[in-house]
Amino acid sequence: MTRPAPQAPLPRARQRRRNPLPVVLGVAALAGLTGFIAFGNLNKSLEYFVTPTEYQQQRAELEGRPIRIGGLVRAVNYDPQTLSLRFVVSDGGASFPVQYSGAVSDLFKENQGVVVRGEFQGDTFHAQELIVKHSEEYNVPKTQTQLKDMLQQTQ
Amino acid sequence: MLNLISFSSSALGSLGQLALLGALGFTLMGLLLAFVGGVRADARVVEAARRATWAVFALMSLGALVLMVALLSDDFSVRYVAEHSMRSSPTWIKVTSLWGALEGSILLWAWLLAGFAFILSLTLRRDALRPWALGTMFISLLFFVGVCATIASPFTPVSGLLADGRGPNPALQNHWMMAVHPVLLYLGFVGLSVPFAYAVAALITGRLSDHWVVVTRRWTLVAWTFLTAAIVAGGWWSYETLGWGGYWAWDPVENASFIPWLLTTAFLHSIQIQEKRGLMRSWNVWLIVLAYSSTVLGTFLNRSGIVQSVHAFAGGPVGPVFLGFLAFLLIVGIGLAAWRAPSLRDEAELPAPVSREGAFLAGNWLFLVFAFMVLLGTLFPTFVEAAQGRRDASVGPAFYNAFAIPLGLGLLLLMGVGPLLPWRRADGQSLWRALWPLLASGVGAAGIALVFGVRAPGVLLTVGLAAYNVVGLGLLTARAARQSGGLTRTLRAQPRRYGAYTAHIGLVVLALGLAFSSAYRRDAQITLNLQAAPSTLLSERLQLTGLRQEDRGFGTSAVATVQIDGRPFESRLNTYVQAPGTLFPAPAVRYGALGDTYLVVTSIDPAGKWASVRLIESPLVSWIWWGTLIICLGAGLTLVQPARSLPSRSAVRLAPATD
Repeated sequence: MTRPAPQAPLPRARQRRRNPLPVVLGVAALAGLTGFIAFGNLNKSLEYFVTPTEYQQQRAELEGRPIRIGGLVRAVNYDPQTLSLRFVVSDGGASFPVQYSGAVSDLFKENQGVVVRGEFQGDTFHAQELIVKHSEEYNVPKTQTQLKDMLQQTQ
Repeated sequence: MLNLISFSSSALGSLGQLALLGALGFTLMGLLLAFVGGVRADARVVEAARRATWAVFALMSLGALVLMVALLSDDFSVRYVAEHSMRSSPTWIKVTSLWGALEGSILLWAWLLAGFAFILSLTLRRDALRPWALGTMFISLLFFVGVCATIASPFTPVSGLLADGRGPNPALQNHWMMAVHPVLLYLGFVGLSVPFAYAVAALITGRLSDHWVVVTRRWTLVAWTFLTAAIVAGGWWSYETLGWGGYWAWDPVENASFIPWLLTTAFLHSIQIQEKRGLMRSWNVWLIVLAYSSTVLGTFLNRSGIVQSVHAFAGGPVGPVFLGFLAFLLIVGIGLAAWRAPSLRDEAELPAPVSREGAFLAGNWLFLVFAFMVLLGTLFPTFVEAAQGRRDASVGPAFYNAFAIPLGLGLLLLMGVGPLLPWRRADGQSLWRALWPLLASGVGAAGIALVFGVRAPGVLLTVGLAAYNVVGLGLLTARAARQSGGLTRTLRAQPRRYGAYTAHIGLVVLALGLAFSSAYRRDAQITLNLQAAPSTLLSERLQLTGLRQEDRGFGTSAVATVQIDGRPFESRLNTYVQAPGTLFPAPAVRYGALGDTYLVVTSIDPAGKWASVRLIESPLVSWIWWGTLIICLGAGLTLVQPARSLPSRSAVRLAPATD
């Protein structure tokens, strides 16, 4: 079957008068929708990754929102029968107690690197997700940057 | 010039490096020949350029073969083997190590690109676009072969000969899907280089009719099919390897493959409008430039570390050169499109909103917004860091789900109505007549789901839209079969159309799998004591019946055998010799048509008395895998040539005016 002959080009005068308003309105609506979804939602979805010292310093800004906190494990108290875990996350300068409900492997121990995701309630961090960072480095890194680099590099 | 003397200690290393350098030389020669042939319109020079692709492919094949031989023979004088392989790996791991790390994956990309250029040289028509399409392929080759032969060469020498290598990334050897997923992904990425090359050729020559989209349609479809399979294969690997029962986390690596898919899907629909109606010519050129550029962008994001920390950007040299190539592609693509803008202007009015092309255009907008939002979420932490100096922000799944769900539902809606609409314009009455069975079946299906206890709005909408799509396509197919005298004849006469319908059905199946497995997944953890009485979890009876250690040569496994409602599951915690302090869960999954049972062991008592396990029940996960298979089969069907047949007189008269 042959395709119908292509439509003859419109007279120039009529082409010149083509109304751009629907296109402009359509694009504007899409841009508005995109902006609304993006910036209304994006800042709420943003999660920050901080060390205990950084949280202490930025507490007013970070309180009440989901964050990830990373540091070294201290004072582990774990009951495998009830899957109840309590420990302290520390970076040498500041420490916070953490509560987590769930199983952890036997690699979870003193001085292990850890990143936990969740929220602070008062001074206690309630973790929803636990990421153990396995590292040969047992000394507390000297700077916050070194600690973060260590936590990100190992896995 | 590299110091070739330093390769004397490694025969395979020097042979491989020479092969890559030779390929680079022929690429430069081919580029020059294509350019000269195009400028002079000299067929003999173009022929020489065509043959240069053969030499490039042969030499890249030699380079890849050398690396494979080095991996399989444990030749640790080759640096890549020393850094990413080890003696105790099983053979399939050594094979997949070829693409398991940076230099090897770029070599794979370059080799596939050379292969595509070779196939193109054998199949491309003798037309005015030919030298420029070849030339554009040579520019892509110049970049990838150049990176392979220089800053990311796997063949650079090692300072001392090692007895054993450092071993592959353990996460990549925990499941066989890692043998599959990267190859599929690169076939998809590289495949987009061909429509891009033809778009550039069309812009340079000014031949901007539908010719270039017709010629490249099959190439684009093949690339799209591989991309589709790759994305889902990656999800499957995640499901089987990471031990959290999910298949998609909006991870930057995943996003990097999803953005090209969205843009290419939009392109596959918009080129139909150009082909049938001569519209959207400018749109299509921009879209393929963006789609191909996004494959480079994805690799840049993953290899440069920029999405983790801006500071990592100063790391290896591969990130910056990918960024440079990305900038080059965008500048050249945008420049050519802007230069040809007058010729790209559409001949006719914009499509009427209520028409097939109107539905396609709306779908294109949704795909573009989708791609932009995914990119924004992926890059936003980088912007935050650059603007505020705050390190390590990340965007959570909530952001992505907030737009992905409505956009996905919107696409399902357009997917159903598009095929029903005629080209040009539909009048309201005939539209309503065509639509009401779909709407009725959609509402009916949602009502039935409601009766069966489905309450999540997103799932109800998905069920309704699924029925709406299936009924719509069914009615169209039935009507066509009545007119042409049989279903078989209909399918054979128009495989492209019914292949597309099949792919749409596959997408509906996949959407149902995504909706149900996300909304109704159940997850719980418990510690089981060995040979104790069964425990109840998620309404199932669990009993730990065995704990043991297995030595596998390249690692060890702690294995927990758990009876779940009387059926044995063996879940493992693997360790690998090259990463002794890390545990890799290998969950036990029982796949079912209506739901998966997923058991992962998270901790085992060193004394062997208990194991902690996590049990996850997810409905309809298998529909994601099967839906993807249906999509790929449908895409394959669109490539089948229509059977020639003598249409009956009545069929001729009743056939719709448009395809």
